[in-house]
Amino acid sequence: MLASGTWGLGENLDKFFTLKEIKENIGALVTKGISVNPRKGNPPPRTFETPCGLINSIGIENPGIKEFKRNYLPKIKSYGVPVIVNLYGEEVEEFLELSQELKGEADGLELNISCPNVKKGGLFFSYDSKTVSKLVKKVREIWKDFLAVKLSPVGPVYEIAEICEKYGADTVVVANTYPALAVLEFKPLKVLQGGLSGPAIKPLTLRLVYDISKKIKISVIGCGGIVSGKDALEYLLCGAKAFQVGTANLIDPRAPIKIIKELRSLTDGLCSKSASC
Amino acid sequence: MYEAKIVINKKEAENIYLLGIEIPKNVLKKFQPGQFLKIKINQRMDPLIPRPFTVHAIEENVVYILYQIVGKGTKSLSKLRKGEILEFLGPLGKPFPKLKNYVICAGGIGIAGFGFLLQKSVNKKIFYSPEMIFYGAKTKEELVRLSFLKRFGIPVKISTDDGSKGYKGIVTDMIEEEFKKDPRTVLACGPKPMLKRVAEIGKKYKAKTYLVMETFLACGTGFCMGCVIPLKRKKHAHLCIDGPTFLAEEIDFEFLS
Ligand SMILES: Cc1cc2nc3c(=O)[nH]c(=O)nc-3n(C[C@H](O)[C@H](O)[C@H](O)COP(=O)(O)OP(=O)(O)OC[C@H]3O[C@@H](n4cnc5c(N)ncnc54)[C@H](O)[C@@H]3O)c2cc1C
Ligand SMILES: Cc1cc2nc3c(=O)[nH]c(=O)nc-3n(C[C@H](O)[C@H](O)[C@H](O)COP(=O)(O)O)c2cc1C
Ligand code: FES
Repeated sequence: MLASGTWGLGENLDKFFTLKEIKENIGALVTKGISVNPRKGNPPPRTFETPCGLINSIGIENPGIKEFKRNYLPKIKSYGVPVIVNLYGEEVEEFLELSQELKGEADGLELNISCPNVKKGGLFFSYDSKTVSKLVKKVREIWKDFLAVKLSPVGPVYEIAEICEKYGADTVVVANTYPALAVLEFKPLKVLQGGLSGPAIKPLTLRLVYDISKKIKISVIGCGGIVSGKDALEYLLCGAKAFQVGTANLIDPRAPIKIIKELRSLTDGLCSKSASC
Repeated sequence: MYEAKIVINKKEAENIYLLGIEIPKNVLKKFQPGQFLKIKINQRMDPLIPRPFTVHAIEENVVYILYQIVGKGTKSLSKLRKGEILEFLGPLGKPFPKLKNYVICAGGIGIAGFGFLLQKSVNKKIFYSPEMIFYGAKTKEELVRLSFLKRFGIPVKISTDDGSKGYKGIVTDMIEEEFKKDPRTVLACGPKPMLKRVAEIGKKYKAKTYLVMETFLACGTGFCMGCVIPLKRKKHAHLCIDGPTFLAEEIDFEFLS
């Protein structure tokens, strides 16, 4: 799957892939975070490179659900693979409104709970298991199709994963970016706060996937720092049923094809060595 | 990303290099002046993100890039040798606007992208030649590719901060002197303070001003939405898809980091 926020709004995916390549290599497209109202996003700078990683603070720039449905979703659907819409809300009601708006329009929803909850003074949903219980339960009442919750790697992660299972999510995506900071200027001190992604986070998220997949029965989708077929295989061996690729798409738009190719050759190798597959 | 073989990676001045890479003809045909490509400098993961460079010139099947060492990526790039393979993606971004009766203003490594514009203006089919090139650098040693630039028969007005060659002072002072007599459209590329000053001069003399902007690019393909250029109108632009060249009057310098 292509991870949220790392392939734009789908306008120019077809510049880099043929439709056939998309169908043969990409299991699903997870859209950029979509909110009820349009969001302008954060002022620059929005990205900063760190050793083997990238900090981003885009601020969920998106056109809002109405314009997204009108001007972007048709093109994304035309790629011919399942479309999962990533939802960004700052209160439970916004998630519900978004779920309502998308009924019959998308193949699945992915709830981004790394958002500040304005009703709780900006406390992130991912830190607040009570609100997440309410959120998943209420979205499930509206949305009968595929429902994923994208966990934050920080906070009571294991408890939240169990809550997602209990209230009817089909899967948890493990995980979003790690809260991080970069110093831009020394004097006066100027910093960029954002989320860290890329190969730097792979060992951390891999551990989460390994542990969480043992704790819950619903499937786990791994996401964090996958840039090669070997990375993907490691996630699958550690309990993930599927995986998402994010930062790798920024480095090379054709990375997903390369990763799948490498994965296929690795799994072919594994299968020929063992009689059980 | 596509593989390309390095045919030259030569020092032009202290910290300034000329890189030539062989690119398949069908890809090469697509490049227009003002567009850039991104280069994955090595197969290791640091630096992780490919670096963007404007096309400096194209000759036969070789794309030339003129670059300055400013950090770890450009430093590693300067260590690569003829015959080695690197990966690139491009062309990316929009070409320069098609201008007539205009001048060029370049500060330091900002000269890089104009070589290809001069090459493409020779036949006057799509792009037209500038009437004058204003080119400033810190010292005489940092003025690069002068003989190449002079090949096109367009007056090149030089300035150096230390007066070691040409006018002693900054390049924008020369432009202001010129615009007092004859203000014209200007296309400028260089460090941010220079661009700001060109924008002020353009405004003062009512000259249409285009600036080639820079930010860190995480993707260069419109995927990450990280490369915002704040505009005065409500919606901001993304450098890698809407730029890198922008009309100065539209840019909101106050919010530019
Ligand atoms: C469209 C475009 C075309 C370009 N064309 C050319 C060209 O033709 N020739 C050329 O020489 N250069 C060109 N550049 C600039 C070039 O891409 C950079 O100089 C290069 O990426 C630097 O890489 P580096 O790893 O050497 O430096 P880095 O190690 O990345 O850093 C360089 C400097 O920038 C600072 N820095 C890095 N990231 C940030 C950030 N997010 N916020 C604030 N400061 C930061 C660092 O502290 C350091 O001082 C172009 C840039 C763009 C956007
Ligand atoms: C530029 C950028 C934008 C992102 N935008 C979103 C977003 O809108 N919603 C979301 O849930 N995750 C977003 N993410 C997180 C990614 O989808 C992914 O979970 C994370 O980057 C870890 O995977 P990776 O290491 O493969 O990139 C974004 C990541 C990046 C780098
Ligand atoms: S650099 Fe990613 S959108 Fe421009």
